[in-house]
Amino acid sequence: MMLEVDGLTKYFDTPSGRVHSVDGVSFTLEKGETLGLVGESGCGKSTTARTVIRLYEPDDGRIIFGGHDITHITQREMLPFRRRMQMIFQDPYASLNPRMTAGEIIREPMTIHNIPKDEHSDRVHNLLHLVGLNSEQAGRYPHEFSGGQRQRIGIARALAAEPEMIICDEPISALDVSIQAQIVNMLEDLQKSLGLTYLFIAHDLSMVRHISTRVAVMYLGSIVETAPSDELYTRPLHPYTVSLLSSVPIPDPSAKRNIIPLKGEIPSAINPPAGCKFHTRCPVAKPECSRLSPKLEDKGSGHFCACPFV
Amino acid sequence: MSEEILRVENLHTAFKTSAGEVKAVDGVSFSVNRGEVLGIAGESGSGKSTAMLSVMGLTGENSKVSADNISFMGESLSSENIKSLRGGKISMIFQDPMTSLNPVLSAGYQLEEILRRHHWKGNVRERVAEMMTKVGIVPAEERMRHYPHEFSGGQRQRLMIAMSILCDPELLIADEPTTALDVTVQAQILGLLREIREASGMSMILITHDLGVIAGEADRVIVMYGGRIMEEGTAQEIFKSPMHPYTRGLLRSVPKPDAPRERLIPIEGQPPDLLNPPEGCPFVKRCSEAMKICLHRKPEESCLSDTHRYSCWKREKE
Repeated sequence: MMLEVDGLTKYFDTPSGRVHSVDGVSFTLEKGETLGLVGESGCGKSTTARTVIRLYEPDDGRIIFGGHDITHITQREMLPFRRRMQMIFQDPYASLNPRMTAGEIIREPMTIHNIPKDEHSDRVHNLLHLVGLNSEQAGRYPHEFSGGQRQRIGIARALAAEPEMIICDEPISALDVSIQAQIVNMLEDLQKSLGLTYLFIAHDLSMVRHISTRVAVMYLGSIVETAPSDELYTRPLHPYTVSLLSSVPIPDPSAKRNIIPLKGEIPSAINPPAGCKFHTRCPVAKPECSRLSPKLEDKGSGHFCACPFV
Repeated sequence: MSEEILRVENLHTAFKTSAGEVKAVDGVSFSVNRGEVLGIAGESGSGKSTAMLSVMGLTGENSKVSADNISFMGESLSSENIKSLRGGKISMIFQDPMTSLNPVLSAGYQLEEILRRHHWKGNVRERVAEMMTKVGIVPAEERMRHYPHEFSGGQRQRLMIAMSILCDPELLIADEPTTALDVTVQAQILGLLREIREASGMSMILITHDLGVIAGEADRVIVMYGGRIMEEGTAQEIFKSPMHPYTRGLLRSVPKPDAPRERLIPIEGQPPDLLNPPEGCPFVKRCSEAMKICLHRKPEESCLSDTHRYSCWKREKE
């Protein structure tokens, strides 16, 4: 087991009240697998990832990484774990320091994690090749690269510390369609050759299906359904998942589509609805849904769903 | 024969930059028929947005636009008469509704302003309330007083749509209207645009990089790359029998609906450098089927049917 997250909770106090961004999230991640985390903007998927990696201080719950409880250890104690869990960000324009060369960007984690200095140059060279760039490009600055190339630099930097797990937070959303496939294929190849474990966050649901072993669907800070990838997409159970998947555009003009629209707007995470948080927009809500707080239930075949009526 | 609303012939748009001249649109011709949805697919830098901004006369001072002909409903468009059509008979919605709305003016004021600008004959307030209700922003009388930040992302895009249909446009140019939105909201917005079209017979140009959205909405499709049209056809022709290596490549690079786990086939290489475009076909550096001639000569167009044409030196085999 690479990662075990249990009842993770993260809230933010704002002038208008407490925002419950992550509200009792539990999941596990086996070594070498890819867990896709999907849901709409503001559902807490990025906050979950950032809390897991301790960029945010968790307010409740537990994070067990490689058998160690890292929920509340100090940032200094966290350092060796940081080396083992790295992150790739969405925006390859904002996440690279414009004043550092590609080589310096990739080298920086090696300095932080005390990798012997005489190995740095060779490692930078190897990493550049690993992500499909060449050594001559080490001296160039981020603005000299295209978006896809920058994302390659971001990936090389994440790999520099030789991590076991990588959190990919919307790694392809900012890229053109033809470049997305390059990056996804590369992530898949790196996973195979380096035995990496991925937590893959994205809003492109067909790409998530493609890359993930399992998928967890979040709504307003909670996981409402989780299942092996194909199982989730072919047999979605939770009314939210059903609606979400029905909305995904299909690149086929003769595809028959039956979109199940969601009513209204996503409620505020400051005052989430009582009972099942989805009941205000659920197409099949029953009166008791405003009282029940459904937990994830085992529906067989590794499929868990937080709705007692399906 | 369906009635032509917009015709553009041999459009060229170049921008002067400190690094040299950028040819963003390089000889683009197309037309839009009444009631039709024309989808324009292409990646960043393909010229799809610039082509539309050129038609609308919105490319800015450092640009140079030329065309053999741009006509709207039979009338030739000039930099003068476009001003009275813009926001009226031809309207446009953009990707990011937050930057398209003025943050210090109420929603109602911004909508009313458009009607006044176009000398709306009826009651301005009533018309705004009617359109806000139509796009589902209710109660309209109350919501009119609200400022852009008081609306959610989806509601702001609805406001933009309300704004764009105030004067009963004949043509709506929607530039990535749902790219910033979540899929469920995207489905709502696309559905709303469809309802409006069905009720009014409005034509639409839908610019997007999302092939799924194009497949679902467009009657005809143009695929652009490096400022040129690579292929044009009905949605069926483009998705079922794509001819251009770029179109084929694009369709292969997204997961297949029926084989979602199959390895993706990306288009190798990087997006085109518009400052130093290849002499020949803009796609030549990334094309797996490129020949010698592709480097030096711009491909001629081949027509496969009345609706299906593509620009490639590689001719149809068999």
